[in-house]
Amino acid sequence: MKTAALVLLLLALVALPPLAEPYMLHVAIVVLMNAVYAEALYVIMRMGYLSFGHAGYIAVGAYTSALLATKLGVSVWLGFLAGGTAAALLAWLLGMVTLKLRGIYFSLSVFAFAEVVNAVFRAFDFFGGPAGIAGVPRPMFFGARLNTHLGFYYVVLGAAVISLGFLYRLAATRFGFTLLALRTRDTEGLAESVGIDAARYKTLAFVVSCFFCGLMGAIHGHYLRFVSPFVFTFFFSTDLVIFNMVGGLGSFWGPLAGAVLLTALGEQLFAAGYYKSLVYAVVLLVVILALPGGLIQLPRLREAWAARRLRWAKQPVVTTER
Amino acid sequence: MEVYLPLLAQGLAIGVLTGILYVLVALGLTLIYGILHIVNFAHGEIYMLGAMAVLYLHVVAGLPLVPTLAVIVVLALLLGLAIERGIFRVLRGQWLQLVVASVGISLVIQSIGWIAFGIQEKSVPSYLPGIVDLFGIRLPRERLLAAGVAVVLVAALYWLVYRTRVGLAMRAIEEDEETARMLGVNANRVASLSVALGFVLAAVAGAFVAPVYSLNPGMGLEPILMSFLIIIVGGLGSITGTVLAGLLVGVIQSVGAILFGSEAAYGLVFVVMIAVLVARPAGLLGRV
Repeated sequence: MKTAALVLLLLALVALPPLAEPYMLHVAIVVLMNAVYAEALYVIMRMGYLSFGHAGYIAVGAYTSALLATKLGVSVWLGFLAGGTAAALLAWLLGMVTLKLRGIYFSLSVFAFAEVVNAVFRAFDFFGGPAGIAGVPRPMFFGARLNTHLGFYYVVLGAAVISLGFLYRLAATRFGFTLLALRTRDTEGLAESVGIDAARYKTLAFVVSCFFCGLMGAIHGHYLRFVSPFVFTFFFSTDLVIFNMVGGLGSFWGPLAGAVLLTALGEQLFAAGYYKSLVYAVVLLVVILALPGGLIQLPRLREAWAARRLRWAKQPVVTTER
Repeated sequence: MEVYLPLLAQGLAIGVLTGILYVLVALGLTLIYGILHIVNFAHGEIYMLGAMAVLYLHVVAGLPLVPTLAVIVVLALLLGLAIERGIFRVLRGQWLQLVVASVGISLVIQSIGWIAFGIQEKSVPSYLPGIVDLFGIRLPRERLLAAGVAVVLVAALYWLVYRTRVGLAMRAIEEDEETARMLGVNANRVASLSVALGFVLAAVAGAFVAPVYSLNPGMGLEPILMSFLIIIVGGLGSITGTVLAGLLVGVIQSVGAILFGSEAAYGLVFVVMIAVLVARPAGLLGRV
């Protein structure tokens, strides 16, 4: 049943776009990109790590690919992979030192990393400075440049299906389940006591998360045809967290639902400027306060509310980080 | 590269002053984290509202400075109480939801700010115009005033936390909540008070820093980045650590800007933060 629905959805995503207007295609491209970013972030959110700096890794991917294409004329397809690899490499380096930290310390260190990345891109002319890099080319496909929305849509769709499929499978592997066990300091200790190398698992999860951000970031840069430090800001990172929280951290479908619904909604509000972030933030607060567990909890609303009331009465004032 | 000594001395002095301004902005954040372990991302927006209130009440409506400050303090207090009651209290015990909710509050206030105040940069005329010349080092008076306010507030906060019964209750709740409650400390009241005081500190910081920077609804972001950095480098929740780290960051940024340029100095500050986190995860003076 589920498989049939997925196959049908995939067929629709492949077959319908030639009939759609360019604006609809644009929305679809943005939705797919955000879905991958949100699911990539979910890999570490699932093990209890919150990142306010994933936009930094997306930026690394975008800049790597844009620089390779504009300065060295490297094939854009290779650039995509290089973008993912560069982000993964940096994630590995930072992860080795910061994943020992838990809770807010980790969040703020990733956040600081993203700020450093942005400062470096703004400071050096090699990276285009505050203006960024213009004239980032679209990829070639059998001698034709994919300059239309339609052509590029299929590139994004392909990358998104591969990425999401991989991340979905990953969650159901032994590796994916082990990450769940690392969610709190106590369970991490338990996991280590049965011989699980928690540090290695966490680093690997962070690397996987950032690889897909870098990969999609590279594609993002080639879609916009420019990269600039002002695209990949703190607010980009918080949007990804919002997608996760609104959709719900309970299953793979939560962040996906959050990303798809909010992005589609946000694109409608795009012309209205600041109303978009207002709507995102209000939706976020309403969901966090009234629907712990996110939108995927909607079918089991009654149970969620009962649990919420029970939990609320007994909590200590001082919040310990787990 | 040749760097003249007077230029370095000037940079150092400005760095110390900037550092004190950072401490002023970070104080409220330290208080809320120190007692309740809530990282309040909305802090920067309260700071922005404080600055905007000075602009509209004092500059536009012509209210004298002291009543303006009183209004700001009362409004910040009420907003703090409301947010603690309506949001923080509901999410108690869940650090991730609390952090994300505070980001949500910050986004709500900021986007309403952009809609209400517009995107145009605004400025508040200096409360104390002029420059003090000290052995060839030139210091703007308005920064000296803000620094003076910061010193007074740090002293007041020390007094409150370490010399009063309220402060004792706060520290007791932080140290061992269950025992403190059994001994009759009203934990809910401590929580309300800490958040409200943190908000007041943020708004007052905004009011005094307003003449130094230009005003727009997004102005809270950079100071809050710096504040996070400072309270992390100093040790989350330690007032002394916050003061030390604020001065350190101010000096690194200002001297770094002279030596390597301002963007590189900005990046350098974050590199220092990551280095401190790696070497001493609890910060310079933090416990854990």
